[in-house]
Amino acid sequence: MKRSIGAAAGAFLLALSLFPSPAFPILYIDINAPGGKRMPIAVADVVVDPGDPSLSRGIPKILSDDLVLTDLFDLVPPTAHMETVTAAHFSGKPLSFPGWKMIGAEAVVIGNVSARGDLLAIEMRLYDATQGTLLVGKRYTGTPTQLRSIVHRFANEIVYTFTGVRGVFGTEIAFTARSGKSKGKELYIVGMDGQDLRKVTDNRSFNLFPRWSPDGQWLAYTSYRTGAPNVYLRNVSTGAEKEVIRFGGSKAPGGFSPDGVWLYAGVSEAGDSDIYRVRVVGGAVEKVVEGWGLEVSPSPSPDGRRIAFVSDRGGSPQVYVKTIGVAGETRISNGTGYATSPSWSPAGDRIAYTARSGGRFVVATVAPDGSDTREVASATDGECEDPSFSPDGRSLVYTYRKRGYSALRIISSDGRRQRTLVSGLGDAGSPAWSPGR
Amino acid sequence: MKGTFYWKWAVLVLSVAALVSVGCAKKQTVKSEGAPAAAAVTEAPVKEIPPAPVAVAPAEPPPAAPGVAVTEEKLSQFDDVRFDFDKSEVKEDGRKTCQVVADYLKKNPKAKLQIEGHCDERGTAEYNLALGDRRATAVMTYLVSLGVPKAALSTVSFGKEKPLDPGHDEGAWAKNRRAHFVLK
Repeated sequence: MKRSIGAAAGAFLLALSLFPSPAFPILYIDINAPGGKRMPIAVADVVVDPGDPSLSRGIPKILSDDLVLTDLFDLVPPTAHMETVTAAHFSGKPLSFPGWKMIGAEAVVIGNVSARGDLLAIEMRLYDATQGTLLVGKRYTGTPTQLRSIVHRFANEIVYTFTGVRGVFGTEIAFTARSGKSKGKELYIVGMDGQDLRKVTDNRSFNLFPRWSPDGQWLAYTSYRTGAPNVYLRNVSTGAEKEVIRFGGSKAPGGFSPDGVWLYAGVSEAGDSDIYRVRVVGGAVEKVVEGWGLEVSPSPSPDGRRIAFVSDRGGSPQVYVKTIGVAGETRISNGTGYATSPSWSPAGDRIAYTARSGGRFVVATVAPDGSDTREVASATDGECEDPSFSPDGRSLVYTYRKRGYSALRIISSDGRRQRTLVSGLGDAGSPAWSPGR
Repeated sequence: MKGTFYWKWAVLVLSVAALVSVGCAKKQTVKSEGAPAAAAVTEAPVKEIPPAPVAVAPAEPPPAAPGVAVTEEKLSQFDDVRFDFDKSEVKEDGRKTCQVVADYLKKNPKAKLQIEGHCDERGTAEYNLALGDRRATAVMTYLVSLGVPKAALSTVSFGKEKPLDPGHDEGAWAKNRRAHFVLK
């Protein structure tokens, strides 16, 4: 007996040492293959003991909705499931994998929820149904209000397991919109799945250009609440604020350096807008781009060494790239009379911007060296503007406008799939995708 | 009996597994390969630190000072100075308006004038904010060239946020590309 336990423990340690946190998970899904095969996956009803039976279907619903959004999975409908998952499956009893394979599932997700005082303990497991192996398992503890966020985290684990790239579930989009009958604009935040919409400011002036700090805790934005456009940093959780740029006339934050030390912004002085960076702590100022034209909308590269920005020095606004602290700037927008609002992908390889094509505003992307321009989002009946990349660089959120109507839309960065994120709020625009969670 | 012993041991090993997992990287996943007899052990899930509480009701900063209703159009005794698309040159009509404004300010040396720069709805908001600033500054510079002391003048840009005409055609856009005068 003792010996067999020793062997088991030994096997466990062996497993640990042989497979320490795999740097490169097995790639089941090639996300770069357009129209590639989707992974058939079954999300079983969750075991709930004891308590709220709504969780039994509620958790799989949240998870399934997430997985569908990626376009990487085919969900095996719950009506086809034959095996009932029980608590025993979390203490050694194997799933009947041939049965799951028979209904077409190549992967199976099971979950177990138990109440622990005011907290929920949620255990989630992902199995490879063809091999019968556990791919990833996590145990979470949190309050019932954190349920969605916990399920989003496991959805991210699933996407990571199959693609090697972390999912973006649980991330949020900050944007601006009119509030009720007010002519002003307030800041709003909404989950990337369209849930949990909430208003952030309520001062009935113009609140514009929300930009996330790299830790996702702060929004920099411009507010007219004192009558003039000033830039504030606002803590998203506590509402604490401080003014951050104390010079110049018009000011618009563009983005933070990846280490969170600097806030880049376009600041006008005597009618001439240049690009500055301001230390978030201490307020020291450096001019980054100078010119006789209007220089606005700085977007730092993910390594923090370069910025994309807009200048009209050539007669019309165009997007340029500059290495910080090095002379010289390269124009990267091509063949368009009007190119603005660049957003550098967190993956580093593309820059999205608003271009002009056929009399309409469209969203285009381009490599940072100015090659390989592609139109991603356009509409025959309206304008597509103000793109912002998701943390994995695989999607963009942008503003669609048609006369008085506006909506926020999310499109895959290859332009193949699209959905509406927010509609029905007056003049919704200026979306900014939060960092990864 | 033997079985009971086995499970006690299994629980112990499980706890050790949990401890080890907590000590390792969060992402770490233990695979069940090669040890079918000890499935419960090798499948020990990794415990995660729960996410920090979210969505605390934000404390709103003090509202705008009374009298600062920035979203309302303020009536002016002067015409607006209008601009071409994406331009900030003060044209012939605008120069005539500026002359009227300059004459008034010279007769009323205590008057303070704020020049608002505005844009039409086309194009992105940040670029329009800077463009509105340039328009307001162009008008200020022209007024100074007509002999108005700079100290009497100030500028603010509203970009495309405060259209005079809410329409979505060239007629509305032409009215909205403007410098607007407000006596303080």
